[in-house]
Parts: sequence; structure tokens; C-alpha cells
Amino acid sequence: MPDISLKSMTALGSDDALSETFGAITISERPEVAIASLAARSDAPDPISVFGLSLPGPGEMVSGDGITIVWSAPRQWMILGEGRGEQDFASDVKAAAQDCSITEQTDGFVCIDLVSNSGAQPLQDLLMRLVNLDPARLAPGCATRTLLEHMSVFLIRYSERRVAILSMRSSAQSLWHALSTAAGFAAHRAEVRA
Amino acid sequence: MLIPHPLLGPRDAEEFTYMGDASLIARPSASDPGAEQAFSDYVYLRDNPAGVHRELWFHEAGDRSWIVVTRNTLTHEILDAQLARDVALASAAEAGE
Repeated sequence: MPDISLKSMTALGSDDALSETFGAITISERPEVAIASLAARSDAPDPISVFGLSLPGPGEMVSGDGITIVWSAPRQWMILGEGRGEQDFASDVKAAAQDCSITEQTDGFVCIDLVSNSGAQPLQDLLMRLVNLDPARLAPGCATRTLLEHMSVFLIRYSERRVAILSMRSSAQSLWHALSTAAGFAAHRAEVRA
Repeated sequence: MLIPHPLLGPRDAEEFTYMGDASLIARPSASDPGAEQAFSDYVYLRDNPAGVHRELWFHEAGDRSWIVVTRNTLTHEILDAQLARDVALASAAEAGE
């Protein structure tokens, strides 16, 4: 057998995760996040919890012990595992929810974090530029799917200062361009005002 | 235009795709007598009201729900929005009674 060693690339085509700071906002690629989707079967009762976390209702998310669960559609959820991007996460989810249909999603999505280092306001200002949603519906604990520059994205509001964005892996560069352009512009505005 | 999603609250119409008249939910049965005429009507005949209209919207860039929206086509006022699944189940239950 020839010795073949393969090294994975991130969604943005680099060996290492890209991270860039614009004023108060840092944008970081998160290749270590594993993703799987969970769908309840029509002939099975509604699942209640996975990995000890209660499955959230419409527009909500729950997070704990490195696992995040996002409501994606009626009787469907997205499950994120921190630091498990290079493991068979879908099998772990299947073992934890045997009555449900589980689909591997890590290879289909890119995860990018937006973090503010100066309170909630810079993140709020940036989100208002990016998505057409009522800011009150993007409070911590909210998660929803919407459009960002014509791309379908999940927005996951972990806290006042942090939101994660999941989008199609094949358009990761377009998402990065949209986020960095908006964040750069917002940082420039803040500088001019100050 | 904002569409009041029954689960997710008001959402921009850009997230939705218009999928036609809500009467499309009532698909005729192929085994009934007169199915040919019923399917011809189902496929080709539509009301085109200037006023209150029941229509199907698909939340394509959201949770992928199909929604029955009751809308006034003259004013764009939205009078009601329900999950199409609930509407179909309710009419099936009514027919079964």
C-alpha cells in the first residue's frame, strides 16, 4: 500500500482557520465545529432531548457541554458539536437519538463566528446591515434561518457579544466577503464618528 | 411586504416563494368517477379575484413551511396566515365527519 496522507482544508481553502478583526468585531472561521441534522420520523413520537439538552422550539437554540441545538423546521433540528469537526459526529448523534433520522452536515456548511469585543452594540449594528430581521428576534437564545446577501444562512445568537453563522460551504468565500465588507464599513463609520 | 409566519412571527416576503392558489391543496382523487374533468379544472381553472385571495407561500429561505396566506390583492393587507399542513388536516377531518 502506498503511504497516502491527506490533509483537510478549511471551507475557505486554507490549512488554518481564517480570522480577521475590524474595529470591535472579529470574524472567525470555525472548521472544528461538526454539524448534523436531526429529523423526527412521521411514525415516531416527538423527540424530547438529545445529549441531555431539551430540543428547542421554533426560532430558538440551546447550548451546553459543547453541543448546540438549533430548531430548523417543524420536527427538525441542527446539532452542532464543538471541537468535533474531524470526527464522525453524525454517528454520535445517531447513537444518542436512535429513533430519529440523522444526516451528516459538516461537509455541507461553513460556520463563521462574529464576536464583539466591546459589548452588544457593534454586533447589533452589524446584524442590522446584514439581515432583514427585527433585532428583538435575534436576542441571545434565538436562532433562525434567513437570507444574507441572497444566501441562505442560519443565525445562532449565543450571547449579546457572539453570533454564529452557518451557510453553504460552497459559497463560503462569498459569505466571508459579505461579512468582512460590512464589518469593515461599520468599523470605518465608528472611527469617523469617534 | 411582511408575512406573519405562524411559528416565527413577521418575516420579509423575500424569504418566501409564491406557490399559487390555496385551492391547489384540494387535489382531486384519481379514482373518483369524473376524475378527468376534475383534474382538468384543478390544473387549468383559477379564480382571479380583485380582493381577498387565499394563496400558498413557501418559506424557502426559512423553515421550509408551506403557509396559507389570506391576502387582499387590492391593498396587500394580510388577514390570516396558517400552516398549510394544519389547513389540510383540518379540511381532511371535516371531510371525514
